[in-house]
Amino acid sequence: MARVDGIAKATGAAIYAADVRRPGMLFAAVVRSPFPSARIVSIDASEARAMPGVHAVLTGQDVGSALFGRRVRDVPILAQSVVRFAGEAVAAIAAEDRATAQRAAAAVRVEYAPLPAVLTPEEAFAPGAPLVHEAAWAYDGAVVKEGDQPANLQSKVAWQAGGDIEAALAASAHTVDLEFTTPAQHQGYIEPQACVCEVGRDGRVRVWAANKSPYRLREQLATPLGLSPERYEVHLVPVGGDFGGKGAPMDVPLCAELARSTGRPVQLARRYTEDLMAANPAHASRTRVRAGCDADGRITALDVHLVFNGGAYAGFKPVPTVNLHGAHGAGSSYRIPAIRIQSLVAYTHTVPGGHRRAPGAPQTVFAVESALDELARVAGRDPVAFRRANLLRDGDAAPLGDTYAEVRGVQTLDAAMAAQRPVPAPAGMLHGMGIAIYDRGTGIGRSSMALRAEPGGGVTAFVSFPENGAGAHTAVQTLVARGLGLAPAQVAVEPLTTDELPPDDGVGGSRVTASVGELCARAVAAFQAERPAPGQSVQATITPGGTRRVTAFAVQIAQVAVDPETGAVHLLHMLTAHDVAEVVNPLAHQVQIEGGVVMALSAALLEDLAVVDGRVTAANLGDFKLASQRDAPPIEVVLVPGGLGVGAANVKGIGEMGNVAVPAAVANAVRDAIGARVRALPITAEAVYGLLHEGASA
Amino acid sequence: MNMRLKLNGDVVTIDTQPDAFLLEVLREHGLTGAKEGCAVGVCGACTVLVNGDPVSSCLLLAGQADGADVWTAEGLARAAPHIAAAFADNEGLQCGICTPGQVVSAYALLQKNPHPTDAEIRTYMAGNLCRCTGYASIRRSIEAAANA
Repeated sequence: MARVDGIAKATGAAIYAADVRRPGMLFAAVVRSPFPSARIVSIDASEARAMPGVHAVLTGQDVGSALFGRRVRDVPILAQSVVRFAGEAVAAIAAEDRATAQRAAAAVRVEYAPLPAVLTPEEAFAPGAPLVHEAAWAYDGAVVKEGDQPANLQSKVAWQAGGDIEAALAASAHTVDLEFTTPAQHQGYIEPQACVCEVGRDGRVRVWAANKSPYRLREQLATPLGLSPERYEVHLVPVGGDFGGKGAPMDVPLCAELARSTGRPVQLARRYTEDLMAANPAHASRTRVRAGCDADGRITALDVHLVFNGGAYAGFKPVPTVNLHGAHGAGSSYRIPAIRIQSLVAYTHTVPGGHRRAPGAPQTVFAVESALDELARVAGRDPVAFRRANLLRDGDAAPLGDTYAEVRGVQTLDAAMAAQRPVPAPAGMLHGMGIAIYDRGTGIGRSSMALRAEPGGGVTAFVSFPENGAGAHTAVQTLVARGLGLAPAQVAVEPLTTDELPPDDGVGGSRVTASVGELCARAVAAFQAERPAPGQSVQATITPGGTRRVTAFAVQIAQVAVDPETGAVHLLHMLTAHDVAEVVNPLAHQVQIEGGVVMALSAALLEDLAVVDGRVTAANLGDFKLASQRDAPPIEVVLVPGGLGVGAANVKGIGEMGNVAVPAAVANAVRDAIGARVRALPITAEAVYGLLHEGASA
Repeated sequence: MNMRLKLNGDVVTIDTQPDAFLLEVLREHGLTGAKEGCAVGVCGACTVLVNGDPVSSCLLLAGQADGADVWTAEGLARAAPHIAAAFADNEGLQCGICTPGQVVSAYALLQKNPHPTDAEIRTYMAGNLCRCTGYASIRRSIEAAANA
């Protein structure tokens, strides 16, 4: 099944946001704060304004004080009198070309008076800490209230079920109490954030943006200005990698202001350094896990306390709790009679935290699956057998009460173990095998499409969602062709602008194929019922809900070789086993898994924005290292077919199944190899060397 | 300066600044297949062929490229369409932002080594980062192109 977008992308013909050229288009550059917390004393832009080719220099005073965000609206277009993180936009230039804009940006003189900063949640939550926002509770969408403690809170959620957690821990035969940390990690999409804005004579704003949820973007742009979403027309362009990082308004409000003030189309394409410093990376986390089991190795209690560094703005998180959904999944795969989960997100003077491929889940699962692995070892149990004994069985509710049409954790684990083969470590290296498990529900989102009959018997599918790479447009082609009995080549797929179809929720949440499956079935049914003449169309929409409750399990098994001389961790093999229902496009499904595994191996071993004194110091892709061809180990994908899926295509989500449990599997493999527990990501040679050294001296 | 290039087989003259990077020159010339990713020569999204070798065009000054024989993914679409087709058919791409660079490097590899081993592909292609695929499907695409 060839991708519908494959040839255009592989030949350079596909037009991404940074490739868009409009007549008379200007190019933007941004002046960013070097301080994590400071008052802006003065801005002297006279030299920049006088440069030939410069059309506009905007500062906070010029753009107004409207605040933007995905849920909480707390993000200014440009800093208004104070800066809250190193990298925050302070001024912006539009010029005839990018080099001129960047020279002008360098010529803007900003005087700052540094202010006290809180750089970690611990500092932010300390009594008497400086406030990142004077009145965070007053922002639209805020979930905190005036007087909430601790100070500098973005969000706090707690879930509890079953018996008394302290009593259950006290009565346990074996317990662990461990703390784990993960750093801020950028999504690592290769396409930096980019957009183009153009303001028409009628005041309508046309937008081309590397954004995965164009209909939501339109609302996010309009609402803070008191405008109707229809004032914005968002053109769908391919997204050059998303992984959760391209769902925020980001630079579009600023780009629109530059377009308004110059009367010209403006492109704002970030340099990658700006993206690393000032986009919306995965939240750094600190997680304490207390867990217990009885003398037979049955889990008795799990207490998980997560603290996420939310950075300077909450506006990059879309969910109503303003928290990270992954926290809710702590321990979800197991029978746990007493469970408590608390998740706090702090405002700090660092780069704002956002979503990255199953937001919050990699951090949560790294901590919980490491702690349960340790609990198994403390109890004298094999970590695989321990998990198998404790996994949910069919008919079980998850610890927080979620129920499912089926539960296939044991089958998935058994399939993984049946396929697993030891790969020997090179001579002199320490071999380790580690396992970790994740489960996640599948739902469908709001979406729409139209099918137009074409002369000659083909159809064109007009879609409301952009292609972020995972293959949604190819799935549309496949399913429409299948439904109408056509060859795939007879089905064209074209995205329309946000003017032309009912709203769509965007690409994410491992829900796209499920949504597309349901949507295509409805569109095909409407097409067959109405039999439109060539040139005529039918339209279909879907809304969330109404599907059976489904979860999918993923079992990850890592084999590593650890060099005892250096601590370096070499990946020997990854086995990744998945609980699936129908699979629409087997090759695309496999590559989603392989890509997720490698992204997570990269997170496990390499990626750290290295925030030092509030500043991102891994500020280019040489320092913020992404796994390359040579870093990716052999990956064996095992599918456990026959599950109950969601929607007309009967599928389970896959987009966030490949990655989540991988860092825990690697950490558990390192534990197996060296006999000491890794408690921080990334697992560097230095860290492992340190653990080996401690072990030798203990 | 007036920069003369043999660009995708055609001789062209482009008016540009000598300190502009080749990537900007090509993109302003309408060839937007080469992408700016990292802009520091690490990610490979801007890879083009310069006198037969894959080069990070984000690091090469226009003055240094004057007189060179340059091929981009757009040119290879005509000269070696089987490579792009192999990527499209084997899910050797997802978001596609790195793909023109991958195709250029794959072409260069196959010119030098028509039937590379898996290990040789890994080594040669290590300078082309892909965040989507996990790389195995890129290797499968290159193997398919080698056998096309």
